[in-house]
Amino acid sequence: MALDDVYVIGVGMHRISGEPIPVRDMAYEAGVNALRDAGIEFDAVESLYNGYITGAPMMGVTLAKDFGLTGASVTHVENASATGSSAFREAALSVGGGHARCAMALGFDASPAAMMQGGGRGMGGGFASMFGRPSVESVLLPAAFFALWAVRRMHEAGTTVETYAAIAAKNWNHARLNPYAQRQADHDVTVEEVLASTMIAYPHTSMMAAAVGGGAACAIVADRAMAEQVRDATGHPLVRVLTSQLQSERYTPGHVFMGAVVGPPELTRSTSTAAYEAAGVGPADLDLVHVHDAFPVEELLYYELLGICGDGEGDKLVAEGATSIGGRIPFSTDGGLIGRGHPVGPTGLAQIWDTVQQLRGEAGARQVEGARTGLAHMMGAGSVCVIHILQRA
Amino acid sequence: MTTKLALEDGYFHLPDAEHPRPRLIGSYSADADEHFFPRRKRCPITFGPVEDRPLSTEGVLYSWTWLQTMKYGTMTGGGEPHGIGQVDLPEGVRVQTRLLGAMGDWEIGMPMVLDLLPVTTDDDGNELCTYCFRAKREGD
Repeated sequence: MALDDVYVIGVGMHRISGEPIPVRDMAYEAGVNALRDAGIEFDAVESLYNGYITGAPMMGVTLAKDFGLTGASVTHVENASATGSSAFREAALSVGGGHARCAMALGFDASPAAMMQGGGRGMGGGFASMFGRPSVESVLLPAAFFALWAVRRMHEAGTTVETYAAIAAKNWNHARLNPYAQRQADHDVTVEEVLASTMIAYPHTSMMAAAVGGGAACAIVADRAMAEQVRDATGHPLVRVLTSQLQSERYTPGHVFMGAVVGPPELTRSTSTAAYEAAGVGPADLDLVHVHDAFPVEELLYYELLGICGDGEGDKLVAEGATSIGGRIPFSTDGGLIGRGHPVGPTGLAQIWDTVQQLRGEAGARQVEGARTGLAHMMGAGSVCVIHILQRA
Repeated sequence: MTTKLALEDGYFHLPDAEHPRPRLIGSYSADADEHFFPRRKRCPITFGPVEDRPLSTEGVLYSWTWLQTMKYGTMTGGGEPHGIGQVDLPEGVRVQTRLLGAMGDWEIGMPMVLDLLPVTTDDDGNELCTYCFRAKREGD
């Protein structure tokens, strides 16, 4: 659906890291940063959507008390890797549907180190309950699943491991420009360095894998009247949510039901087609893109599935540097899942954080010149695809 | 002699006197004329009924990888290196599966056959197995 008059009025982050920082502290900081960014207090927020996968079911509503006791609607949203994106979608839909003037989406999750200390369900935890036992149908390790995509792509299109490494190196280097990113290299990361890192699942090395840590991210949306008040008070330009799309799998020939991490790549094509139609923009109108780049083959395929280039032409984009900051269509400008990190609950909202900063012209060293329209794409295991398109009004 | 048992019911038939190889159990939708694996509760295309069908024991390798370490980012876990693949069966089913063999044994498009992979033993000494695929050998 297209969204009428929904605007992002505030964004905030807590740095993503592997450190055992309490989730409560990270969530509070990200939320308060977003409230400050919008120049509002928590009593203006009518609906809060908490996105997380590693905490207890009541954690979200409990953490909300740290912001204040206002009687606001509070809901826990969980959609695997797309949890943060889904929380943002719920917030946008609540405003777009006239159920709230102002809604907040807050994503947070603990780092593996914190989970080791304090327990938690972990990635994929509890999946066995679907079958009543551990099963061959449980989620396959993402490194292996996306390696199947990568090897197939090499067979079909002649993609090289150097191309995969170049995408990963780009995202590591974009992360160097993002103070909230998990991976902070102290030098320009090279293709050779990525290839020389530990092999995980051929052709994936450890430096090609998404960084897994903890963190928090927040975005606040509001209707036009409130957004204009915020604009006048803060000086931030209006950033409109043009569309929110979420699709699950459709049957495709050779459909993999067994232990799928994400569904057929075509899921991204169908979701983005719906997004472009609803938003009234096309791939040529985009100035920057965020994708679920858990591994480089994903970003490569999404260049094509999002219509940024023709099928089989993604490798050329990499070779030309078109998807780097300064290139024709920068991808993963905050480092993506590979560089910024993939703490799961916050991930989709971290994409929104960067996109809003870019569209406001406030992204500092990673600013995409003249950015007006951005797309944020996430996949959630199981699987779903979530796409938002934002535009400076 | 060790008895082989299925680690999980409902995914494959064990070899017997009539069928020397294990056979995967799929679902067939007459309405859609399509097969699925693992079994579906109903046809995901037409929503009509499905019936169990044993699937072909040979297929073609669609893709593969060699899982060298269980690391994913900074997360670690146990497990020995092993092959993972997807195999296309003549019925149009793509099976995600463990692969027998080692890095360098596989090429996309090569013929593959279904086999059993012992996983553990139960208290009675029975060998509990899951299904896997391996490259087809001469004489298979």
